[in-house]
Amino acid sequence: MMPGAAKKLAWGWPILFVLAALVPLLHPSSYMLDIGVNVMIWAIVAYGLNVILGYTGLLSLAHAGFFGIGAYTVGILTLKAGWNFWLAWPAGVLLCALLGYLLGLVAFRTKGDAFSIFTLGVGVIIQLVINKWDKLTGGNDGLNGINPPPGLEALSKMVGLKLTGGFYYLALLALILTVVVVARARFSTFGRSLIAIRGGEDLARSAGIDVYAHKLRAMLLSTAIAGFAGGLYAAYVGFMGSAITGPVTTFTVLLYLLVGGLGTLVGPLLGTGVMYTLSQVLKGLQDYQYLVFGPLLVLLVMFAPQGLVGLWERLKQRGGKKDA
Amino acid sequence: MTTFLQQLVNALALGGVYALVALGLTLVYGVMRVPNFAHGGLYMLGAYFAYASLTSLHVGYFPALIISALVVALLAALLERIIFYPLRNAPHVQPMIAAIGVLFFIEAAVQKIWGPDFKQIAEPMPGILNLGSVTITWQRVLVIAASLVAMLGLNFFLKRTLTGSTIEAMSQNREGARLVGINTNRVGMLTFAISGALAAVAACLIAPINSVTPSMGEVMNLKVFAIIILGGMGSVPGAIVGGFLLAFAEVFGGYYISLDFADVIGFAMLVLVLAIRPQGLFKRGT
Amino acid sequence: MKRFLKLSALLSLMVSPALADKVVSIGYSGPLSGGAASYGKNVQNGLDMAINDINKAGGIKVGGEKVTFKLVPLDDRYLPNETATNVKRLTGQGVKFIVVSHAGGILTVQPMTTRDPNFLLMAYSSDPQILNNNNPLTFMLPPRFDNYGPPFVSVQMKAFGKKLGMVGTSTAYGKQWAEMITNEWKKQGGSVGSNNAVDYGTTVDFSSAVTKALAEKPDVMFVGGPSQPTALVIKAAREQGFKGGFIVMDQAKFEEMETAIPKAYLNGSVGVLPTRDAPGTQLFVTRYQGLYRKLPTSEAGLPYAGVNMLAKAMELAGNVEDPEKVRAQLVAAAKALPQSKTVLKINGVTAQGHMDTEALAATYKDGKVNKLRYIPTLK
Repeated sequence: MMPGAAKKLAWGWPILFVLAALVPLLHPSSYMLDIGVNVMIWAIVAYGLNVILGYTGLLSLAHAGFFGIGAYTVGILTLKAGWNFWLAWPAGVLLCALLGYLLGLVAFRTKGDAFSIFTLGVGVIIQLVINKWDKLTGGNDGLNGINPPPGLEALSKMVGLKLTGGFYYLALLALILTVVVVARARFSTFGRSLIAIRGGEDLARSAGIDVYAHKLRAMLLSTAIAGFAGGLYAAYVGFMGSAITGPVTTFTVLLYLLVGGLGTLVGPLLGTGVMYTLSQVLKGLQDYQYLVFGPLLVLLVMFAPQGLVGLWERLKQRGGKKDA
Repeated sequence: MTTFLQQLVNALALGGVYALVALGLTLVYGVMRVPNFAHGGLYMLGAYFAYASLTSLHVGYFPALIISALVVALLAALLERIIFYPLRNAPHVQPMIAAIGVLFFIEAAVQKIWGPDFKQIAEPMPGILNLGSVTITWQRVLVIAASLVAMLGLNFFLKRTLTGSTIEAMSQNREGARLVGINTNRVGMLTFAISGALAAVAACLIAPINSVTPSMGEVMNLKVFAIIILGGMGSVPGAIVGGFLLAFAEVFGGYYISLDFADVIGFAMLVLVLAIRPQGLFKRGT
Repeated sequence: MKRFLKLSALLSLMVSPALADKVVSIGYSGPLSGGAASYGKNVQNGLDMAINDINKAGGIKVGGEKVTFKLVPLDDRYLPNETATNVKRLTGQGVKFIVVSHAGGILTVQPMTTRDPNFLLMAYSSDPQILNNNNPLTFMLPPRFDNYGPPFVSVQMKAFGKKLGMVGTSTAYGKQWAEMITNEWKKQGGSVGSNNAVDYGTTVDFSSAVTKALAEKPDVMFVGGPSQPTALVIKAAREQGFKGGFIVMDQAKFEEMETAIPKAYLNGSVGVLPTRDAPGTQLFVTRYQGLYRKLPTSEAGLPYAGVNMLAKAMELAGNVEDPEKVRAQLVAAAKALPQSKTVLKINGVTAQGHMDTEALAATYKDGKVNKLRYIPTLK
C-alpha cells in the first residue's frame, strides 16, 4: 500500500477501534460477541501471516503450528505447571518467536515452492507431535478446562458484562497492539526492506540489504504474533485440540488474508471479518455450505485476486477517472 | 523373518497405492506449475463414478474403470479451461486456493448425491496369493503392477510420442515451447485430462482395498504432495520412487520404532531431504 | 373499520389455537461433513425421525398448548471448539435442548450448561467421563462402554486363549477403550501384546499394523473404530491367516461390517448386539429402513429414544423452557413411554442423568448373533 493511503487510513483506525469498543455496551447476544472475539483472534493470526507472506513474499505453511504452540504453551503451563495466565501468555509468545527463528535458520535454505512445501512439512510435523505426545498435550483428548485469565471475570462483572464481554475487550486490546506493532514495523526501514525482498532477493541484496537476517526477523515476528493469538484462543475456548493446529487452519487463515488483501494493513482484519462471518452464515445452509463456499473461493481468486482491498482501490480508481 | 517379509510385501503394496496417485499429480505440477489440491477430489470422484457405473449401469469392473477415467479426464480438462487456464500467470497461491475451493465443492457435492456412508467396490480378482508363509491379495498385486505399467506407459508417452514430447517440452520451458510453435493451450488441457484419468484409475484400483467415502481424497492429498516433492517436482520416476520410499519409511518406521511414528516419518523425511537437497531427489523433467 | 376489527378479532379467536402452536427447537452439533459425516448423519436421522413422528401425531400438549418440534443441526466437523461456537449460537437463539454426538465436544461444552443461559445437554457418547463430571444438566444416552469389558474378555479368553493383540483406533475414545480392555484382560489373567493403535480415519492400508500385531501370535485381537475401517482391519487379519477371535469396540457395528466383508471373517467376534436383533425393535428397524434405506444402528436408535423421552418429560413437567424442570421428569418419562418410542427397553434415568438401558452384546457366527448374558450395568 502506498504511504499516502496509509496516512489517509491512519485516522480510520482509532474510529474503528472506538466503534468496536462500544459493541458490548449494546448488549448483543453472546453468539454475536463470540463471533467478534473469534474474528479478532483469527485476524491477529492473519496479521502474523501477512508479515511473512504479504510483506516478505514467503508463503509459510507452518503458521497454524505456531498458533498451536502458543496455545498449548498457555494450556500446559496454566493447567499442569500452575502458572498464571498473564505469565504463560508471554512465555508462549517468546517460545514461538524462538522456534520461528530456529525454523527460519533451516527453512531459508529453500526458496519459492520448496520453501512452502518445507514449511508445510514442518506444519504437519508440529500437528502430529502435538497429537501423539499424550503425556504433555493430552494427545487426542486435548487439553480441557483451561481457565480464563485470572481477574478477567471479576473485571467484566465490575463493568456489568459477562465473561465473553471481558474476552471481547481483551481480544480488542490484543488486536490493537498487533495492528500497532505491525504498522510500525511495516513503515520502518525494516518494513521497507521486507518489501524490497518481496520484489526480488537479488535486487534487495544489491541495495545493501542483509536478506537472510531480515527474513529471519520477519519469520520471528510472524510466528510470535501467531503464538500471541494462540495463547488468547486457548484461554478463551477453554479447550485445545490438535486438529486446529494443522495445515487446514493455515489454509483457512491464508484464505482470510487473500480475501482481505495481501500485504495491506486493513486486509487481514477485513478478510477475517467477512469470511468468518460468512462461514457462520453458510453453516445455516447445512449440506449446502461447502457447495456455496467452494465456488465462492474460486470466483474470488479469479475476479478479485487482490482481495477486497484491491477491489476497493480498483473501484475508487474507476470512480476517480469518472470525476476527472 | 516371516514378519519382515510380510512387511516388505505390505510396503510394496502401499507404495503401489501412493505411486499411482502421485503420478497424475506430478504431471500437473511439473507441466502446469499448478499445486492442484483438487487432485484428491478427482481421485475420490473417480471412485464414485466407478461405483455408480457398477451399481446403476451394471457394467463390469473394467468397463467401469474406463468410464470413470474418461469422465474424470473430461472434468479435469474442463477445470483447466474454466479455472486454471485463466489463472496461469497469477502467483501460485491463487490457483492453490482455487483448487481448494474445487475440492470443497466436489466433496460436498458427492456427499449430497451419494450420502456420507461408506460404499463398496468388490475386488475384480478376489483371493489371496500365498508366497510361502507370506500372503498378499491379488488386488494389491494388481495395484503394484498397475503403478509400474502406468509409470512406464507415461514415460514412453512423454519421451517417444509427439504429443507427449510437447508436454515434456512445456514442462521444461513454457515460453520456449510456445515460441517453437507448440499449442500450449491444448497441452495444458491434455495434461489435466491425463492427470484426471490417472487419478480415476488409481481410485478404481485402490477402492476395493480401502473403501469409498467423500473424504478419501483428503487423506491422500498431503501425503501425495510430500511424495512428489520428495521425488522432485514433475519427475515421473521421482513420483514412483517417492511413493515407494514413503511407503517403506511408514511401514518399517511403524514396525521397528512405533506406529505412532509412522505418520510423522514421511514428513520428517521430506523436511530432511529438502533441507539437504532443496530440489528433491530427482531433477525435474528426467 | 370497526366491523373489520371485530371480524379479525373473531377470526383470530377461531384460529388462535393453531396460531398459538409453540415450536420448540432442539439443537444438534455433530460432524456433518468430513470423515465422520456418516456417523453424524446417522445420529441426525434418529433425531429427525423422532421429531417427525411427534409432529405428525399432532405434537405434545403442554399446559393446554400444542407444542411441536424443530431440529436445528449445525456442523462441527468433529472439532470441540466448533462445538463450543455452535452451542453459543444455539443458546443465543434461545435453544434450551442441545444434542452433541462426540465425547470431545460434550466435555468441552459441559461446563457451559449451567451458565447463563443454561441448557440441557443430550450427550450421545459412551465415555464414562461424561458422567464422572456430575453435571446437573447432562442427559447421556448410550450405556457406558466399560460395561462391555468383563463379559467381552471372559468370553474370548475362554474361547480362544490368553494372549491379546491390540489394533484399535488411535482416537481419544479408542485409546480409552484400549486401556479399559487391557486392564480387564490382565485382571482376568491374560497377557497383552504391544499397542498397535492406528488412526482408522487416515490409514490407507491396515496390513502393516496387522502384521505387527500378528507377529506376537495373539489368540484374540482388539479392534475397533467406525464400522467400515474396522471391517478392513478384520479382513487384513484373516487374509494374513489369523484364526483367533476379535473383541470389537462398541463404535463398530456387526450389521454394518457384515455388508463390507465376507461374513465368515467375523466369526468368533464379540461386540455390541445389532439393534435389529434386540428384542422389540422390529417396528423401528422396518420404519427406519423405509425412510433412510439402510439398517439403523444404535447411532440412530438411541437419539430417537432420547428425543421421545425429552418430549414426554416436557409434557410431564408442563414446561418447555426450563431445562432443569424437564430433566427432573426424565425418570417419569422413561416409565411412561412404551418401548415403541424408546426402541430399546429403558429402565429409567439415573441421578447423574444417564439413560438406564441394558448394555447388549453378542458373539457372531455366519450372520447370526448369539446374545451374551450377564452384562453388568454400571450406572
